[in-house]
Amino acid sequence: MSIVPVTGFTPDATLLAAAQKEGTLNVIALPPDWCNYGPMITAFAGATGLKVNSITPDAGSGDELTAITSNKTNAGPQAPDVIDVGYSFGAQAVQQGLLQAYKVSTWSTIDPKTVDPNGMWYGDYYGVLSFAVNTQVVKDVPQDWSDLLKPEYAHQIALAGDPTASNQAIQSVEASALGNGGTLDNAQAGLDFFKKLQQAGNFVPTVGGQGTLASGETPILITWNYLAQSYSDALKGNPAVQVVIPKTGRFGGIYVQGISAYAPHPNAAKLWEEYLYSDAGQIGWLTGYCYTTRFADLVSRNAIPAPLKAKLPDDTGVVFPSADQLTASKTLITGNWKSQVGVSVATAKP
Amino acid sequence: MTSSGAVAATKPSRSRPSPARFFWWVVFILGVLYFFLPLLATLLFALRSQPFLSAFTDTLTASDFWSALGYSFVIGIITIIISVVLILPTAFWVRLRVPRARPFVEFITLLPFVIPPVVIVFGLLQMYANKPLSLTTAPYGSDLLLIGAYVVLSLPYMYRSIDAGLRTLDILTLTEAAQSMGAGWGRILVQIILPNLRVSLLSGAFLTLAIVVGEYTIASFLARPAFGPFIALIGRNEAYRPAAVAIISFGLTWLAMGVIAVIGRGSRTRIRVVGAH
Amino acid sequence: MTAPAQTLVQGAPEARPGRRRNLNFLGLAPFFIFAALFLLIPVVFLVVGSLQDAQGNPTLANYGDLSQNFIIDAYVTSIRVSLLTAIAGGLFGFLLAYAVILGGLPSFLRPALMTFSGVASNFAGVPLALAFIFTLGHVGLVTKFLLDSFGIDIYGGGFNLYSEVGLDVVYMYFQFPLMVLIMAPAIDGLRQDWREASANLGATPAEYWRHIALPILTPTLLGTMILLFGNSFGAQATAYVLTAGQVNLVTLVISAQMSGDVLHNVGLGYSLAVGMIAIMAVAIFFYTLLQRRSERWLR
Repeated sequence: MSIVPVTGFTPDATLLAAAQKEGTLNVIALPPDWCNYGPMITAFAGATGLKVNSITPDAGSGDELTAITSNKTNAGPQAPDVIDVGYSFGAQAVQQGLLQAYKVSTWSTIDPKTVDPNGMWYGDYYGVLSFAVNTQVVKDVPQDWSDLLKPEYAHQIALAGDPTASNQAIQSVEASALGNGGTLDNAQAGLDFFKKLQQAGNFVPTVGGQGTLASGETPILITWNYLAQSYSDALKGNPAVQVVIPKTGRFGGIYVQGISAYAPHPNAAKLWEEYLYSDAGQIGWLTGYCYTTRFADLVSRNAIPAPLKAKLPDDTGVVFPSADQLTASKTLITGNWKSQVGVSVATAKP
Repeated sequence: MTSSGAVAATKPSRSRPSPARFFWWVVFILGVLYFFLPLLATLLFALRSQPFLSAFTDTLTASDFWSALGYSFVIGIITIIISVVLILPTAFWVRLRVPRARPFVEFITLLPFVIPPVVIVFGLLQMYANKPLSLTTAPYGSDLLLIGAYVVLSLPYMYRSIDAGLRTLDILTLTEAAQSMGAGWGRILVQIILPNLRVSLLSGAFLTLAIVVGEYTIASFLARPAFGPFIALIGRNEAYRPAAVAIISFGLTWLAMGVIAVIGRGSRTRIRVVGAH
Repeated sequence: MTAPAQTLVQGAPEARPGRRRNLNFLGLAPFFIFAALFLLIPVVFLVVGSLQDAQGNPTLANYGDLSQNFIIDAYVTSIRVSLLTAIAGGLFGFLLAYAVILGGLPSFLRPALMTFSGVASNFAGVPLALAFIFTLGHVGLVTKFLLDSFGIDIYGGGFNLYSEVGLDVVYMYFQFPLMVLIMAPAIDGLRQDWREASANLGATPAEYWRHIALPILTPTLLGTMILLFGNSFGAQATAYVLTAGQVNLVTLVISAQMSGDVLHNVGLGYSLAVGMIAIMAVAIFFYTLLQRRSERWLR
């Protein structure tokens, strides 16, 4: 297997040897166009000679924890070595005893607000909830949450998941609370907002994605900026997609890394983390329009090429909910979505 | 009723009255519209990709598409073979010798309809993936689990098809006749029963292949590079290529079934023992 | 007609020594062993899991949780959707199958429909949902065609793809073909000679249907509709993508417990699944009854 070195990533020789003896790395829930994971996995595999096994790329954070739990004594390809989960799932995983501690060599340069002091989990990247707008269909691009209620956007707005099951959708509702006079502590304003959206006939209750965005069925899609930007790139102007970060209510969502306590290939896992937190890995994520937790350090060393930096969205005023706020909102939204906003209740115009 | 055989032999086929035939045409055309319009819409969407037809060329040149489809096809064929080998003798035996076991066998063949695949796969993983069996660490272990699960999923269709086919044969007389000529069970099954079940076996095989190619949950949880997970992944994260993939895979699977149908056509002779009715 | 064959079958086992009967059962052993290994034991895990809580202690709480309003609503909705798609799907599927087999259409249409049905019966999930969004969505092919060419606004008229009704329409895509595939052999069994014999005796087509064809077919028709019910009852991926969980189905509640980002009460997922099995057991019971009746005619 030929090794293709990657600039900005110099693996420690002993760790590399140990990992190569294991030969494989099992990752989970990493879609190829999420924060540029596809090329990053390829680069990692090329630089280390390891085979990377990508389990259930479409899985959610909860699935990742379940995968560890149900494969505790299984050393086969179904057991993940590393996980990449939503912020509140880090503490949950520790509680369930699913993680093992590891501090990467660049630990000191990671934003300390985003890590577990014991090294069990560590923030990796974050994004801001944005509107992906198909400008071929939508001429007057909405700039803020309140704009979405305008009658000209009748049946054009969709979430990227089910607000009673998908992290992204739930946090979209939470984010709309911020733009609707609410706070991170009380997401009720978000439910109210979507109820108004539903009653105005602007909300399309389906799972929006790149396909429905492009076809014009859901020309305004509420999703993470990095996904919206990657859709815009992939569509290459067919149709043209503009990514709008709302003026008020900028909601940041952090994801965290962790190594499974039952990892079948612990050294490969550690090597992967070293890669992710090396400059190469960080640039990789940034290329995917994801702000990283070592961003400040990279900027201070001028390690980010200017054109790349220019493509990153303006994230001034982004707020990050705490784990408690996330959990409280999750409970509120999933418990009340159907009764307050659901199709059967609202007298929605079709 | 005993004269029915004679009637069939001598009467020429009558042309149907027009109003009835018109009605059936309307039904058929409505069906065609319902089935083809969504496919047409998907095709038209895929054609919007720039440069023109790039969604299709991207699909056909992408190695991930062919490897996923090929994997599922191979798993499908193996599943069909194992399913037939398991079910044909069973259905035959139930009909011939152990009719009292019918309700139990039928109940089992209907269970796959009822149990969500996510439950089947969790159960399988708990049983076989952890010590002491650790089937999944062996390279083909997980494939075996997948095939086993798919044979289970094929049970309702395979059993029903084969059973319906057996029902139209007089297997008792056929068996007795063959046995009186010295044939053992193997020969009876393979050389006498099997050829008469062409239509049933093909029908069961069609359905099993389609199930395997379209299945998502079990393949995804067993971390197998099958077509279902592939199509679900790109469906959410890309725009034009998934539409092209859907059209192409639909077409290819339909083609494969057509090929199976043509191969299976052969001679349509059905062995009828005179006087059995 | 069947009387001589009947006594033959009944006579055969009795005439042989009793030991044969035990051996006969063994012939089914491979099947039962396979079923045990790959189906029954996972189901056992299911039942056991439903009686445990997250730490593995025995509890009945998961079954108690089933009485929550949204869960009862989920069962009711799932049953309603499944019944509707089973009956409507069954009726039209039957008509479609009859059309190509005995309806006087060109004979090549039959294998075309059969092979197509094989593929369509498993076209589900993300591609199916997207296909219908492209067809009947707000900017769908058919929606725009009706609007531009005839001025008919289906959404203005109350239709909404992203609703339970829309889901029913989409589910037909795998219900019709399943009905076609399973009814085809039964329609084959409706012998041409009966049709012609009845015409010879002076019966009109309507009378033929009422007194001969339907009585023979009805048990199989109803039985297959029960299969369609089960097929729809267990469907999940299509509903998730199309309606983002807005239509409250049991399978979606289960998958929300077993996977996904939020709810995560695996024990509840298991008890929900056991509930599904119970409902299907009732359905299968009726199915078996109907099968017995149809056997009489198709022998």
